[in-house]
Amino acid sequence: MKKFINVHVHNKIYLWLVGIILTWFIAAFLVLPNVNILYTTFFADGAFSLEPFQKLISSKRAMNSLLNSFILGITLVITVNITGVFLVLVTDYFAIKGAKILRLVYFTTMIYGGLILVSGYQFIYGNSGFLTTALVKIFPTMNPDWFVGYPAVVFVMTFACTTNHIIFLSNAIKSIDYQIVEAAKNMGASPWQILIKVVLPVLRPVLTTLSVLLFASGLGAMSAPLIVGGKDFQTISPMILTFANSMSSRDLAALLAIFLGVSQIALLYFITRAEKKGFYMSVSKVKTRIEKQKIENKATNFIVHFFAYVLFAIYVLPIMTVIIFSFTDTYSISTGTLSWEHFTLDNYIKILTDASSYEPFVISIIYSGLTAIIVVAAMLFIARIIHKYNNKLTTSLEYSFHIPWLIPGILMALGLIITYDKPMPILGNIVLTGTLSLLLIAYVIEKIPFTLRILKAAYYSFDSSLEDAAKNLGAGSFYTFVRVILPIVLPTTLAILALNFNSLLADYDLTVFLYHPLYQPLGIVIRNNTDPTASIDAKAMNFVYSVILMAISAVVIYFIYGRGSKKKNIL
Amino acid sequence: MRVKKPLLLVMAFMLVASILVGCMNNDSTKKDTATDTKDGKKSLIVYSNSVSDGRGDWLTKKAAEAGFELKIVEAGGGDLLNRLVSEKNNPLGDVVFGLNQMNFETLKANDILVPYEPKWTAEIPEGSSDKDKFYYPLVEQRIIMIYNKDVYTEETAPKDWTDLIENEEFEGKYHVPGNLGGGTNRSVIYGMLMRHVDKNGGLGISEEGWKEIKAFFDNGYKTPEGEDANANLASGKVPISFTYSSGLPGIEEEFGFEAGIVSPEVGVPTTVEQVGIINKRKDQDTAVAEEFINWFGSAEVQGAWAEQFGSLPVNTKAVAKASDKMKQIGENTKIQDMDYTFISEHIDDWVEKIELEIF
Repeated sequence: MKKFINVHVHNKIYLWLVGIILTWFIAAFLVLPNVNILYTTFFADGAFSLEPFQKLISSKRAMNSLLNSFILGITLVITVNITGVFLVLVTDYFAIKGAKILRLVYFTTMIYGGLILVSGYQFIYGNSGFLTTALVKIFPTMNPDWFVGYPAVVFVMTFACTTNHIIFLSNAIKSIDYQIVEAAKNMGASPWQILIKVVLPVLRPVLTTLSVLLFASGLGAMSAPLIVGGKDFQTISPMILTFANSMSSRDLAALLAIFLGVSQIALLYFITRAEKKGFYMSVSKVKTRIEKQKIENKATNFIVHFFAYVLFAIYVLPIMTVIIFSFTDTYSISTGTLSWEHFTLDNYIKILTDASSYEPFVISIIYSGLTAIIVVAAMLFIARIIHKYNNKLTTSLEYSFHIPWLIPGILMALGLIITYDKPMPILGNIVLTGTLSLLLIAYVIEKIPFTLRILKAAYYSFDSSLEDAAKNLGAGSFYTFVRVILPIVLPTTLAILALNFNSLLADYDLTVFLYHPLYQPLGIVIRNNTDPTASIDAKAMNFVYSVILMAISAVVIYFIYGRGSKKKNIL
Repeated sequence: MRVKKPLLLVMAFMLVASILVGCMNNDSTKKDTATDTKDGKKSLIVYSNSVSDGRGDWLTKKAAEAGFELKIVEAGGGDLLNRLVSEKNNPLGDVVFGLNQMNFETLKANDILVPYEPKWTAEIPEGSSDKDKFYYPLVEQRIIMIYNKDVYTEETAPKDWTDLIENEEFEGKYHVPGNLGGGTNRSVIYGMLMRHVDKNGGLGISEEGWKEIKAFFDNGYKTPEGEDANANLASGKVPISFTYSSGLPGIEEEFGFEAGIVSPEVGVPTTVEQVGIINKRKDQDTAVAEEFINWFGSAEVQGAWAEQFGSLPVNTKAVAKASDKMKQIGENTKIQDMDYTFISEHIDDWVEKIELEIF
């Protein structure tokens, strides 16, 4: 009895402590700076006015852009999920010839993105792109500017946004118990039935989470609409960025961002409710590793192979052109022409031999690495709490951690500066501006929602009876976590570590306001070298930097994810 | 009782500890950045948007020879201004240069500058600097309309920005910017709007002026992100564009064509890169910053800068060192007479209106 009370009291104290720390963190870093910047934004003249609402509502462009962003978000949920599921089935479920190389190519979206990725697509489909030029030769009446507007944006983003599917869905597929598939077969189920009734339900928890993220990336789409959207398909993010950068228009930026954020969180609310109702899979406790399924029907087999390789081409062409064009000058890149005359190694030499150039790489690697580790460790813990104690407190905790979705990065950065440029009691009177930690804090905050979403899904997709079994066998909680739970969520954890690391490596928008003058991160150096108003060779330099970043990302992914996944998925 | 206490506690503390440790570390590094003259070195943190293309390295090297240890914080004009304003309670920089006169007006209004008087004020044209002595001009950029000489001759080329709107043959033939964040793009806008100042009109501009701007954007070729206006100019696809004066030689060289310069009768907008000392409040000693500006703005350094990077210095004694091309632009175009205080008060609202209603 005494022991019970002891343990109980201990536990209480511990929970209180965790609660206090988290409350402090949320108050100090998520609430206070953002409230501060929103207050100065909306009450700039001392009083709140409805003017920004009126301005936006009467702006045809703003309203159209908002509508377009929503359309894009919804479209992507459908198109990317279809593509993503197909990709994963090709690499991990069906027996497809050349699956390994296919998988490698499908992975390429992990190592590049943004403007460079869209430029890659432009080299193929744009008005002077290779495919367009070829098609115009065959059909002279064809309009070379065909790759523009909504279809073009959807096309680019459908293939560019499959990164998370490739990682997290394939982890989920690998965790299917092969015995169920066998059992279904023995009971006479057709391959199609197995796919729909057995495989897809296992993927559901991950798919729902990915859908939330897809909707978010559709709403927040930036590069693709800017480059291939044209006049008729503008979206809201470029507008938010422009307004956030202009002191007197920040109220508009904040308003638009809050609106987008609220719609994301509304979607999240429904998903979370669905998660609570539970989709726990009750499968056998001793899992057998899944075996690849041969497609018996010849026609189907041909069709699946055909599309697998069409996708291969779609994925491989843009990245190949980007790499090739990185060895040319701005003239070639701007006009999309390739010739030996314009081949050059100068830009590589310029970047790689500059004595001062390795330092930004080191600084960015340290910042991104630290951020990735801190955020993943903290969210591993918090997602566990949310998963375990499913109550009002943890729900509000979860929503608080989504605050960064409500505020555009730039405003968050400015909020941190104007809040902590003076001693504040909540931080023990430490002044943050001018310190190295300011940027780290901002990076951590920025990565919280995404990391939490994915890790929570990882916890939900494992079988909690395994944990109970370990307990019944007498394993301590710590032992259970390390030996049973952690190995199951580890592939996801490592993958997200890599994703966070890569995404911050060349960050600019957050970094520019927060970096320490003596420690210049890579994103700043890249922007300064590739700003078209400042540098003539801006474009070519940009391509070279992108290819170098691709190489770093590829190495990181190989070490963290590529090798890890083979070992860790044993179970 | 199913909590993994030790592990969870460790993790919670890790989160807090890492942040606190970060803070502590930085307090020590902060001392290094202080501007005092330790070790006999005069170190300064310089904020600038005008140090790309090797100018920053050149400046750091030359300054070191003169005994200054510079750390340059480089960012685009808009970002730099945002950073300076948001940091105003605890500024990190000592000197800022490169921003234009309107940006410096904003800095001045936010109490971010300290007044001072450099030694070379006698060498700049009278009336060219701030009367309250908060900032001083260094380099001038004329914003000029240019055309591809393979497509137009001096006769067939537009004579003024208004030609682009009125003359149908230029429809779709001239580049209009897709964003108005940068100083050059903005100056095209106010160069046109300032011809229609009307105190009773919307945002200080008459209806006529807004119609003109709308037509300007509607009839132009809005170059999408990822496409290069200069490449289009060179290929003849969009043969009319604009640039800041010192950017012209580079464009001609990179894309291998010859550009004609349009010189409207009313004149061309000009942006002047300025220099000022950042207000750090707490009993700051601005001696080193002043010494640096005395050195940097001198005819010798500005002349060398102009020679090296093809700029048009404001310092009259340095103008001789500017390249022939720059001198030619300086002589062939005249400066449009505009009230820059009025512009800096309104430009953000104008840009917002264009973003919302015209784009």
